[in-house]
Amino acid sequence: MTPGVRRLYMPWPVEVQVDTEGVPLAVGGVGVAGVREEWLVEDRWWTLRRLWRHYFELALLDGSNVVVFRNSKGRWYRQRG
Amino acid sequence: MATPYVELHAHSAFSFLDGASTPLELAAAAAELGYPAFALTDHDGIWGSMEFAHACKGFGVRPIVGAELTIAVEELVHVTLLVEDPTGYRNLCRLLTAAHSHTREDASRSAGQPWVTLEQMEEHAAGLVCLSGCAGEGALAGALARDDPATAAALGRRLLAAFGRDRFRVELQRPYWRGDRARNRRLAALAERLGVPRVATGNVHSHTRRRALLQDAFVAVRLGTTLEASEPRRRGNRSSALASPQAMAERFAEHPGAVAETLRLAERLRFDLTAELGYRYPGSEEEGTDRVLAEVCRARLDERYAGSRHRADAERRLEQELGTIRQLGLAGFFLLHRELLELAREVALEVRGPESARNVLPPGRGRGSSVSSIVCYLTGLSHIDPVKADLFAGRFLNDEVEAVPDIDLDFPRDIREKLIPRVHDRYGAERSALVAAFPTYRPRGVVRDLGKALALAPAEIERVAKTVGFHERGAEIARDVIAAIGAERAAAPGWRALLWLADEAMGLPRHASQHPGGMVISTRPLVDVCPVVPAAMEGRQIVQWDKDSCSDAGFLKIDLLGLGMLSAVERCVEEVGRTRGERLDLSRIPLDDEKTFRSIRTAETTGVFQIESRAQMQMLPRTRPENLDDLTVQVALVRPGPIQGGAVHPYIERRKRLRGDPEFEIPYEHCLLEPVLRDTLGTIVYQEQVIEVAMALAGFTSSEAEGLRRAMSRKRSEQAIEEHHDRFLVGAVGEKEVPFETAERVWRQIQGFSGFGFPKAHSAAFGLLAYQSAWLRVHRPPEFLCALLNEQPMGFYPPDALVHEAQRRGVRLAGPDINRSQVLCHVETPRRRAENTTPAPVLGPSVGEGVVRIGLGYVKGVCQEEMDDLVAARERDGAYRDLADIASRSGAGHPTLERLAWAGALNPLIGDVPGVRHHCGRSITGTSSGGGRREALWEVGIAATGVRREGGTQMALPLETPGAPALEPLGEWGEMIADYRSIGMTLGEHPMAMLRDGLAPELLCSADLERAKDEATVEVAGMVVARQRPETARGIVFMLLEDERGTVNLIVPPAVYDRRRAEVRAAPLVCARGTLERREGTTNVVVSEVRELERTAPPSGAARTPPQGPEPSLTAAAFAKAKRIARECEARRRAVAQLRAVTPAGHSFGRRGH
Repeated sequence: MTPGVRRLYMPWPVEVQVDTEGVPLAVGGVGVAGVREEWLVEDRWWTLRRLWRHYFELALLDGSNVVVFRNSKGRWYRQRG
Repeated sequence: MATPYVELHAHSAFSFLDGASTPLELAAAAAELGYPAFALTDHDGIWGSMEFAHACKGFGVRPIVGAELTIAVEELVHVTLLVEDPTGYRNLCRLLTAAHSHTREDASRSAGQPWVTLEQMEEHAAGLVCLSGCAGEGALAGALARDDPATAAALGRRLLAAFGRDRFRVELQRPYWRGDRARNRRLAALAERLGVPRVATGNVHSHTRRRALLQDAFVAVRLGTTLEASEPRRRGNRSSALASPQAMAERFAEHPGAVAETLRLAERLRFDLTAELGYRYPGSEEEGTDRVLAEVCRARLDERYAGSRHRADAERRLEQELGTIRQLGLAGFFLLHRELLELAREVALEVRGPESARNVLPPGRGRGSSVSSIVCYLTGLSHIDPVKADLFAGRFLNDEVEAVPDIDLDFPRDIREKLIPRVHDRYGAERSALVAAFPTYRPRGVVRDLGKALALAPAEIERVAKTVGFHERGAEIARDVIAAIGAERAAAPGWRALLWLADEAMGLPRHASQHPGGMVISTRPLVDVCPVVPAAMEGRQIVQWDKDSCSDAGFLKIDLLGLGMLSAVERCVEEVGRTRGERLDLSRIPLDDEKTFRSIRTAETTGVFQIESRAQMQMLPRTRPENLDDLTVQVALVRPGPIQGGAVHPYIERRKRLRGDPEFEIPYEHCLLEPVLRDTLGTIVYQEQVIEVAMALAGFTSSEAEGLRRAMSRKRSEQAIEEHHDRFLVGAVGEKEVPFETAERVWRQIQGFSGFGFPKAHSAAFGLLAYQSAWLRVHRPPEFLCALLNEQPMGFYPPDALVHEAQRRGVRLAGPDINRSQVLCHVETPRRRAENTTPAPVLGPSVGEGVVRIGLGYVKGVCQEEMDDLVAARERDGAYRDLADIASRSGAGHPTLERLAWAGALNPLIGDVPGVRHHCGRSITGTSSGGGRREALWEVGIAATGVRREGGTQMALPLETPGAPALEPLGEWGEMIADYRSIGMTLGEHPMAMLRDGLAPELLCSADLERAKDEATVEVAGMVVARQRPETARGIVFMLLEDERGTVNLIVPPAVYDRRRAEVRAAPLVCARGTLERREGTTNVVVSEVRELERTAPPSGAARTPPQGPEPSLTAAAFAKAKRIARECEARRRAVAQLRAVTPAGHSFGRRGH
């Protein structure tokens, strides 16, 4: 990538604790106050770079709103909403 | 555990590219997942509803009828309508009819978006339950998504007012999109304010998650773009795949009331499509129809059988049939068909004109099993005497028949064109419509559509599309892809995705079309029993069901079919009348004409109805038909049923034995079979013989036997047939004391017959037409060829092959000529031909005086209207004198005249051009020298400047044009290429004759094969005229090559095919090496290697590429020679490439239905 240019909405890894059904309980150590939205992206299945992401838009106990997703390997990432 | 949820919103593939499963797949999956009821709600249609209803009943699921209707408010939005009672069903049909009524209003009549107004929906709300629509484009959800709560509320209030609190629900969906929760919260709040319950739906688009990927691809296909580019319009995930009721209840955990509401609604939605239609056909309820029908038939019987030895049999049979018809209440059905035939008679008179020689012919003729009925014969619905021809009527009409029988009528195309709108006029547009047909995805379409969606390289897509076969599935298509583009490219992710998508897509409907001729007529408005929509052809409309659904609905379907050969025969009769002044009545030609039968026995049947295929030609010299009865068997023999049932070889063998020894005893499997299989020498050839064998050998009742026959005609019939197996064995072994092994052997023959076969009555009708066309071919050759050319496309051979075959028989042809041609081809008699006209060279003995003149309409790219004007102006004001004359008064524009010039049609208008006009001997157009085309083009450029626009052409002033300068003539090869480019055929020397000198000397021509020894290794080359890969031939491909002397049959074994797929399937010019096989009058080459002709090795010693500079070891003379040879090779390579580009595609045949 050209120096000085960065991708918008670039996800970064984040630590997420989940309940038994996979719903986040805490993000980066901050508790989840509520799930605002939950959605699923399954795309680019016809390429070598298949996309599978389970997204959550969460209200955290510190008052912030965050968007996180779990990928097909079970890893969690945070992304700008 | 009680089911928590019922699905009330699901799309099948009948939402056309917005649904990826068949109704049957959805019904089976719903049953598997434990749904007690299930609604099918396709976009603006109920195309798949009858199939779905029957499938659901079979699986124990209660079907709910509905549709997702588009309504035009400020935007086009969706609501989901579900049928509660018969009134609701009627209203749904009327709404869907109204939604489509304006969809073909543009000039091209391409299908537009259906919609109704809100007012229309309000008028037809009774009996329907309305859900507020889907998450994306729903009436309420859509408005909320646009952040327009006021519109959402206003629309909600109008829908509530129209449907009432009981029948309006706010629809919640959970497609796992961002914003689902917010949207559903807002919808729930709106529902609260309106005071109506919410209901959850799944908006299902596929029955499995795997199929949901195909749905993604379909969205791209529908939008005409790629998967990548269609991302915003796709569903984004696979949650539109059918999920279990439990999973759906969990999905809506925040809205338990909406889930429970699905059960309450489903409980109310009990309209049964399979039982409550209330359809009646005209005449079904009229009093006295039995008496009228009996009177008509008895009066006709007196005429037809006066003095006949068959009279007593005919009377007995008539009374028997009338009794059955009375018992079944079908007299009105027969009278309705008779009325239609009378209508056809009126139409025929108008179409043919009062003076036409065709008027001696009936307006149409019967086909199918109805030909076996004496009532059909006496009411004019059939032209075959069933008593004389000994036809069995049980298949058509018996006491236990449950559905209305089928009567199929064949008409010449021009009569049928006019008849269909006339039927609409007679019975009213509201009460008559054509039956729908659903073209389904086949390999070629799959490769093209999905390849584009996957953004594969267009050139690769085209290469693969040309290679794949009609019946192929995954593994075979994969082999084709590798053959066409190589293993490395085939391993790319896109192509791999295409391969597994292809298997999923195969057989799914792509769009709705019209059945070739099936019509439905009703006493009550059809729009109350099934939606009616405009067809692509003006003046036609179709119901939303195909023939199977119409049959399941109990609709009376009348088949008014267009039969190309019937049209050709009529054209021929007309042309004979015009050229010879002879009124030819085909019902009076001798039916035992030796010359005709001799041509049939020697397989001289190119262009003859039903017996012109390569398979028939191979068989005719072995079966050696001698009369119409033999021809009836012959027509039925080369069908999948008799072939798979093992009837063909025993029949041929027994005929041969009988020829040698008339006392030869036919070896029947059991003596009980002798009476039913006598005509076909102990083999099962006709469809009704299955019935007769089951009745004779296993004691089936006629209804049981008919059930067996029906099982055979169904898709996926194996299981259905097997269900009759035990009954057959019990009957044969237990009741009739047939040995078990014999019974099993006969059963296997019946089982084998499950492919398609003809009823004898149908064969008799087609056999007669086969004979009549053979007679015309033998006795009126120019007129017959002319008729075939004018009726294209039809038959087994492209026009180029028909023309060459006719030329070999001595028929003379002449190319298009601006001052002699009509729009269609016609036969010129000596009196009509100009003195200086030279017809194309005759390659065989001359047949008669007539010359077939190619019509101006054959020139590619010209428009019919301009040709009509051009001929009319010539006939009104005299022949065209020169290019300026034609440009100033014909109304034809510059592009058209250019095309005519390329075709050689303007050559007669070219003045003397020194050095050009007289130096070229070849005259393929029969008009002037070969150099004329270039001069004509040159002059067109000066004289004709007009381009045709709406309203006509601005004509040029009749100014004298300067003559063309001396232009280099096209030469023979160039003329031939121009012929193929402009008229799709050449009348001059065959391209293979021109290529012959440069081909390897060991390449034999077709005539040489007659002298070659059996089992010799031979090499041949030619243009591919036809390819055939029948399902019954276990992977063998049959190819027909044509060269300058005739044709060569190639048999390509599967191993060679696998190795050379691209060449076998698509190459227009091939060389083949193989073993000559000569059997009982037939000659084949069993191919061991095949390649494209251009790969033919250059003459010995020739360089493959032109040398770039002198090699040190070469002398100057040797170098010059090598350079010349290389130039020649390059010229030959280019010439072959040129020819390959213009050669008409050989016809490819698989088993494409009936």
